[in-house]
Amino acid sequence: MLLEVDNVTLAYGRIQALHGISLTVGQGEVVALIGANGAGKSTTMRAISGLRPVAQGSIKFDGEDITKLRADLRVVRGVSQSPEGRGIFPGMTVRDNLEMGAYTRRNRSEIDEDMQRAFTLFPRLKEREKQPGGTLSGGEQQMLAVGRALMSRPKLLLLDEPSMGLAPMLIQQIFDIIVEINQQGTTVLLVEQNAQQALSRAHRAYVLETGRIVKEGTGAELLNDPAVKDAYLGVA
Amino acid sequence: MSEKANFRENGGVRGWFGRQPTWVRSVVVAVALVLAFLLPYAGDVPLIGPQIVTEGIDWPSALFNMSYYVLLALGLNVVVGYAGLLDLGYVGFFAVGAYGTALLTSPDSVLYADTGWKWLMAVPVALALTMVAGLVLGWPTLRLRGDYLAIVTLGFAEIIRIFATSTTTLRGDRGFASIPHPPGEWGGKPIFGVTDAVPYFWLGLVVIIAVILGVRNLDRSRVGRSWLAIREDEEAAEIMGVRTIKYKLWAFAIGAFIGGLGGVLFAGEQGFINSQTFVLQFSILVLAGVVMGGSGNMAGAILGGALISYIPDRLRGISLGDTDLYEYRFAMFGLVIIIIMVLRPQGLIPSRRRAMELKDREKEVAPQ
Repeated sequence: MLLEVDNVTLAYGRIQALHGISLTVGQGEVVALIGANGAGKSTTMRAISGLRPVAQGSIKFDGEDITKLRADLRVVRGVSQSPEGRGIFPGMTVRDNLEMGAYTRRNRSEIDEDMQRAFTLFPRLKEREKQPGGTLSGGEQQMLAVGRALMSRPKLLLLDEPSMGLAPMLIQQIFDIIVEINQQGTTVLLVEQNAQQALSRAHRAYVLETGRIVKEGTGAELLNDPAVKDAYLGVA
Repeated sequence: MSEKANFRENGGVRGWFGRQPTWVRSVVVAVALVLAFLLPYAGDVPLIGPQIVTEGIDWPSALFNMSYYVLLALGLNVVVGYAGLLDLGYVGFFAVGAYGTALLTSPDSVLYADTGWKWLMAVPVALALTMVAGLVLGWPTLRLRGDYLAIVTLGFAEIIRIFATSTTTLRGDRGFASIPHPPGEWGGKPIFGVTDAVPYFWLGLVVIIAVILGVRNLDRSRVGRSWLAIREDEEAAEIMGVRTIKYKLWAFAIGAFIGGLGGVLFAGEQGFINSQTFVLQFSILVLAGVVMGGSGNMAGAILGGALISYIPDRLRGISLGDTDLYEYRFAMFGLVIIIIMVLRPQGLIPSRRRAMELKDREKEVAPQ
């Protein structure tokens, strides 16, 4: 297993957000976390990327216990996140944003190679290369956030709501790209409210409710699960 | 497109400057430097000269005041403008620098028997002390964000002031007298005397130039890039692999160092300091200068720092009826700041990036 999250609990002050989450992501998989607002999806992501310390439980990545590892060192180990709300740097140009994604790396020619790869994946970013990130549209910012997360050459890519606020056409496109990234060899853990898209693209998925995992299965299984259909797919 | 709009599109004055060949840029910089060093003689320029120079305080002294305010603004700009950390207690570092110098040199100091150093010897120790103060304050507090950090820094400056007021070692109001001046002789007389402030201004100017060069280099390095990322989005910076606490501490320590420079210069020129000098108002004033000039941009910080010192000094000695306008300096000053902030919220010489960030934050508050 590339990532093993074991019985992790996490609290914001006195409000407990995660009540013992356990999940695994295998090498080469696309795994989705779905659930309603406030279910703890983003919090789980933050625990994995190290933005929030966990109270209990452990997180193992690539055979190493990273539960107490600093966030910046997790990037070096190969965990990269495209955060909720995109978190692009508004005053930096598109190119500088991508450069920031390669912050932990030194090899110039490899970085340039990956920059080209990002521009191939997202031709729109190439067009906007010298524009400040803050001037991009929502969809372009999302592309930038994903492209930037790829710049660290991650083993595990964490995508938090990549479809948030996007037009249906763009949602389709961004999921196509996620699949493409995965086929090029990057493992993906995905948080989504768009359960339809997430489940149909993911190998496996977990359903979160109020800080607990209530269901897990392959994408297809969950797509056909009556309870999931009822709660998350908007079809009775 | 009108000519003016076109000029803006091409980056205005800064864009023009950036496109010039190296020799043109060198000449422009050299001329600006010469003019800066000639500032003490601005009064001799016909017509405009007398309008510029101060009346109630001798002009070279006013210039020296401007120079240490500019230093403080440059230092605070690193903390607030580059790293985006709101520090409301910046005067604390100025105080540490000044008191460090006083303790090591003044005959009033309890350490005098053991030290009684010359000014120049005290400088590195006092500066090291301010950097340590920056780290000691920063280490526990830089994990806080935004408003919380502002409150803690506010507390820090007050602690320093109250400490200076109440402890016998720091002598409160009585202060430290006979702090030695900077060294050097010219034609048998000391360069840095009591009556002529011009050499102090020049010294301040040299220090300012050194600080500008140092900060510019840092800003263009990995450190600067990390600051920028932290300021624009601290969490995003962290998940890019920036060790945020380390670079925030750097910003604090460098800001403290520059503030300390202001303090040692101040102590060296005045020859006397006491706890009255380091009131909270002072911190707020410098912050106002940075914001007014254009946070995140050194040229802006320099202009803002100079103005916060110049405006009140210029008002000195001008009477309205039977009151000196100087008495109303803070009211008038407040008015000037309000006008500037209404007309130009990004500051007089804004950083383009900062302007973009402000726009971005507006979007967050009120999505279109």
